[in-house]
Amino acid sequence: MKTIPPICPEPKVGPKYWRSLDQLADTPEFNEWVEREFPSGASEFNDPVSRRHFVKIMSASFLLGGLGLAGCRRPEEHILPFSKMPEGYVHGVAQYYATARPTRGSAVPLLVKSHDGRPTKIEGNPNHPSSNGGTDAFTQASILNLYDPDRAMRFTKSGSEKSSADAFDALADISKKFQATGGEGLSFLLEQSSSPSRERLQKVISEKFPKVRWFIYEPVDLNVERQASAIAFGQPVAAEYRLENAKRILSLDCDFLGAEENAFRSIRGFAKGRKLETPNDEMNRLYVVEGIFSITGMNADHRLRIRPTQIPALAARLASEILKGSNLTGLSDLAGSFKGDEKWISETAKDLLAHGKNSVVLAGHRQPLAVHLLAHALNDALGSAGNSVVYHSISQANQGSIKELTTALNANEVDTLIVVGGNQTYTAPADLDWSSAVAKAKAIVRLGYYEDESSVGATWHLPAAHFLESWGDARTADGTFVSIQPLIEPLFNGVTELEVLARIGGLNTTRPLDIIRETFQTISPTNFEEGWKKFLHDGYLEKSAAQPVAAKINFGAISQELSRAKSPAAASELDIVFHRDYSVDDGRYNNNGWLQEMPDPITKVVWENVIMVSPATAKSLDLRVLKNRKPDDLKNNDRGVVAGNDIVEVELNGRKVQGAVWVQPGLADNTVALALGYGRTKTGRVGTGAGYNAYLLRTSDSPWFASGAKIRKTGEMRRVVSTQEHGSMEGRPIIREGNLEQFKAKPDFARNMDLEAHTPNAGPIYKHPYNSSPELKSKVHQWGMSIDMNSCVACNACVVACQSENNIPIVGKDQVERGREMHWMRIDRYYAGDVSDPQVANQPMLCQHCESAPCETVCPVNATVHDEEGINVMAYNRCVGTRYCSNNCAWKVRRFNFFDFNKRPNNFADTSKGAFGKLYQGPLAKKEPLEYDMIKMLKNPDVTVRMRGVMEKCSFCIQRIEGAKISQKVKAGASGDVAVPEGTFTTACAQVCPAEAIVFGNLLDENSRVSKLKKQERDYAVLGFLDTKPRLTYLARIRNPNPLMPDHKEYPASFEEYEKSNGESGEPKHEMNGAAHGEKGAI
Amino acid sequence: MSDIFPKWTNRLPLKIAVGAAVVVTAAMAGVNYYVTPKYTRVGYQPIQPVHFSHEIHAGQLGMDCRYCHNGVEKSWYSNIPTASLCMNCHNQVLKDSPKLELVRESALSGKPIEWVQVHITPDYVYFNHSVHVNRGVSCVKCHGQINHADEVRHEKSFSMTFCLDCHRDPAKEIRDPKDVYNLDLKISAAEQEKMGKKFVHDWKVNASQNCSACHR
Repeated sequence: MKTIPPICPEPKVGPKYWRSLDQLADTPEFNEWVEREFPSGASEFNDPVSRRHFVKIMSASFLLGGLGLAGCRRPEEHILPFSKMPEGYVHGVAQYYATARPTRGSAVPLLVKSHDGRPTKIEGNPNHPSSNGGTDAFTQASILNLYDPDRAMRFTKSGSEKSSADAFDALADISKKFQATGGEGLSFLLEQSSSPSRERLQKVISEKFPKVRWFIYEPVDLNVERQASAIAFGQPVAAEYRLENAKRILSLDCDFLGAEENAFRSIRGFAKGRKLETPNDEMNRLYVVEGIFSITGMNADHRLRIRPTQIPALAARLASEILKGSNLTGLSDLAGSFKGDEKWISETAKDLLAHGKNSVVLAGHRQPLAVHLLAHALNDALGSAGNSVVYHSISQANQGSIKELTTALNANEVDTLIVVGGNQTYTAPADLDWSSAVAKAKAIVRLGYYEDESSVGATWHLPAAHFLESWGDARTADGTFVSIQPLIEPLFNGVTELEVLARIGGLNTTRPLDIIRETFQTISPTNFEEGWKKFLHDGYLEKSAAQPVAAKINFGAISQELSRAKSPAAASELDIVFHRDYSVDDGRYNNNGWLQEMPDPITKVVWENVIMVSPATAKSLDLRVLKNRKPDDLKNNDRGVVAGNDIVEVELNGRKVQGAVWVQPGLADNTVALALGYGRTKTGRVGTGAGYNAYLLRTSDSPWFASGAKIRKTGEMRRVVSTQEHGSMEGRPIIREGNLEQFKAKPDFARNMDLEAHTPNAGPIYKHPYNSSPELKSKVHQWGMSIDMNSCVACNACVVACQSENNIPIVGKDQVERGREMHWMRIDRYYAGDVSDPQVANQPMLCQHCESAPCETVCPVNATVHDEEGINVMAYNRCVGTRYCSNNCAWKVRRFNFFDFNKRPNNFADTSKGAFGKLYQGPLAKKEPLEYDMIKMLKNPDVTVRMRGVMEKCSFCIQRIEGAKISQKVKAGASGDVAVPEGTFTTACAQVCPAEAIVFGNLLDENSRVSKLKKQERDYAVLGFLDTKPRLTYLARIRNPNPLMPDHKEYPASFEEYEKSNGESGEPKHEMNGAAHGEKGAI
Repeated sequence: MSDIFPKWTNRLPLKIAVGAAVVVTAAMAGVNYYVTPKYTRVGYQPIQPVHFSHEIHAGQLGMDCRYCHNGVEKSWYSNIPTASLCMNCHNQVLKDSPKLELVRESALSGKPIEWVQVHITPDYVYFNHSVHVNRGVSCVKCHGQINHADEVRHEKSFSMTFCLDCHRDPAKEIRDPKDVYNLDLKISAAEQEKMGKKFVHDWKVNASQNCSACHR
């Protein structure tokens, strides 16, 4: 009998969301895209491999197969035990070591998992006083850099390979040479660091060589806040924000949930204020003022879209509201003739004042000193110091900038330059002409992780060690002293920064371990050996957090500094904003495939950066974004058929770059946003060919903003690959959200937004495994997950953590465009409301583990079945690759291995080399042996590496579940204590989440966190009307807008838009058609 | 007009049918017998670099399995002992025996002995020793009377059925964990039945038959 599926609720019953401009404009291409089960090209073999070619390849394969048959006998395998067992080692049991990843001015405390000496997975250290075990996407992906086959592997002198002993001799010679002159002509160019050992070494070297000069360059300098603190408080202090104490947060272009330092910690604090157990709980409110669309902006309750160059003026206006009657001067000058939304400003000020010490103002690293000074003054006036922000003393050494170094180089004052880290030839401001300046140094010694742009011209090039190969130390945001210990010997004899400094300084101790021990002795001298062991074991020194200091603000100094600030540029000019990229940072992760393939949280673009403009600006400049996904055209794309986005040339003061245009809703008008870190000329196999280089426009005077840019169309077009439409769900009430007021009035609103609440339940159409055989249902464990969309900020950490845990390969740009990305977990980003300034809702999407699973019914070989604990499992070795399961999955979370991604060479970002990619050559193409071997070391041995032709999907980290059950059973022995207690383990995504938005656990345990969350009234199932009983449910998002604000909406924008769309006219009115597609209707 | 087909052809279809049936049956029987782990793996007994006798060590001397395979209770993997562990005794016993030349050399140089692997599960099977031995599955259940084997021999088939037979009815196989390493323990079928049922109930034994138990 034919089963009639339940009627699917069309957009008329639910709020209307749109995931891309195409969807909003309802173009035929978009409709085609969603109506197909797989994107075009994904399910057809329409690559220009001719039949003849195919037969040729196949016959060659058969021939090889025939030859291979001769050796078809059981291979003799050997077991090679240790001749002497290392202490405490049990083969097959993973070990964890506490360490930390150093960041610019801080560190991320970690526990790293090691399998038989190979680090395989990075996790946060939950015992650290300011960590909950959460990390970020960069940290998760940094383990891939360790196994990067393109990293620097040799010591070179002027390009020819030398031994490490030769290199160390050369360092000793430098040391001797400058001992005589007291360091005259010796200069160091370093990156920022929080390492106490480095600070100590610098001091020792300066004492030994009094004339040595130190310079620091960081292309993304997050330190401006500390400079401001030094002025505002008259002493070097660092601000530590405690957002968990803040009820009202104002961000002045501060992306504290994304691009700022210690974002993982800020997310944790922010999310704490968004957790609602009952409707009566208090919830924080986030005001964001920004120009580009950031992660913080996506999570704002009120977002003011304004050109970033005008934020100083706005901050001055706001300060004059709050600081009425204080003796701060210069505000009106700074505000100038700024005309903003006065009501927005005054109401925000009122709300902040009303919450006093429970409110906090943050200024972003892109903003000039003046905004940071105002933020400090505001926090002081609000009384938040000591509550939502605390200050502690830091040491501040006197170090020069790269501009000063360039001056010194051009004056021939630098004889020998020691460059430690960074990639200055690529990142240095364009006006400094760094490469010709640096050539004036007589000798350059560079310690670099890659042989890249900056290694050209270096006299000596030393390979740097990865942080998982090094001894080191650092301080986290709260000042806690953390250890960095190696998990593996340097794979390619890499050396650390500390060792280079010590050798140049001619010190007696050059081993990094000894240097760290010396530093530790100065910090914690009592009971040294025991303390040292505990320090390494714990990963941090207990009670070493900095003590808050009572810093007194100096209005005089602030006023003086404010008077020097510039007033905003004229409104008609086109502004440029440079920003740190969410994927590659400042370019340091350019060769990291996981991060390149991680969709940008906002644009969902992969493998490149784009030139972002707002819809209105795109319209006024006639920039077009054309979609072209018809199979025939896709085939012809590389043969000159015009398709894709306009390539434009951005010109600023005579300097030019070219890149593809991206129309970004929510961006300020007349603003062009350029992400840093792409367009490298000399990088590894992964980063080559990805994006354009925004550094070419950047100058030392205005590193973040510039006015007076010009945009010219080149007439060419190029495909930009974005995953924003993949798996679109056509306007069903997938995301459910409400305002706090609605939630209070109707706590169960989320459950009433879909058919299941209104129609009689006819029962699931797919069989329920436990109905027919209830004895199969386990009485010990039933696993389930809950995702709180109210605290998820869409930071992408879970996506990369899942990739790392589950051996998920990268597929390359070309394959992502065909919809073949392999991520088991994605974050769906939906826009709602006004196209120029939309609201955003994010939703992590992964296998729902339905009890009545549609995928299981259609599998002809029982490869995907239910287990007794409620998990929908995949048996890869049974799967024959029909893909029926994926066709029948309503959530589109199944992934198919179209190729042997682990064995074949990848095209990475390269889509230009003809349409015939390396992946398509089948067994004729093999990964380069070095790449194959190194990536192999990274794999999690507890998870099968999947081959071509099998389906895969989220398994709820089945290896962790089984591992935990086995450990519990081993512990139980001859007893019945087999239930895994709460808190023993969790999935990779839940483990990494700094917001604790993902919670996994046993539903049979009444007291487990997940059981409690599922009892909340915000709990709902996505596509609940299908009655498949998913084990993964979501908690509805709650917005907390201020009713007095001018942009207040009684309901989330999605509701309003629904009303508008289904109101009197009946037809949705979209204003977008022109902007995104040009008025010519070009499609 | 003579017949195109002679008379004997009348029975040809029947002959073909019977012949085909015999061939197909033989082929199926052949595959069933020869292309299964029971045939291809049972009896595998390669020559090891050092003639190590379980019969002498575990049988006659009565050494505990865990003295050498000391990871078996903690890890999925039951380790082969290190050469230095052998030398704990053999620096006193048979210390000049030429048979132990390789062991002494390995302990001295650090170069491992290349033992030939006998028991192996496919890469997509995640078998775990620790959970079995700690919950009452004795070594003999999979490795046979290894304490009376002079050379290690593949005794059981290790096919999926072999695993499932026990997982479907663990009561027939499990014993008190303290007897797991007592490889000569003799239990009558009735006693095993009674004891097994009690253990399965008391210890909440749930030998999973789901894919996820072994395939991840």
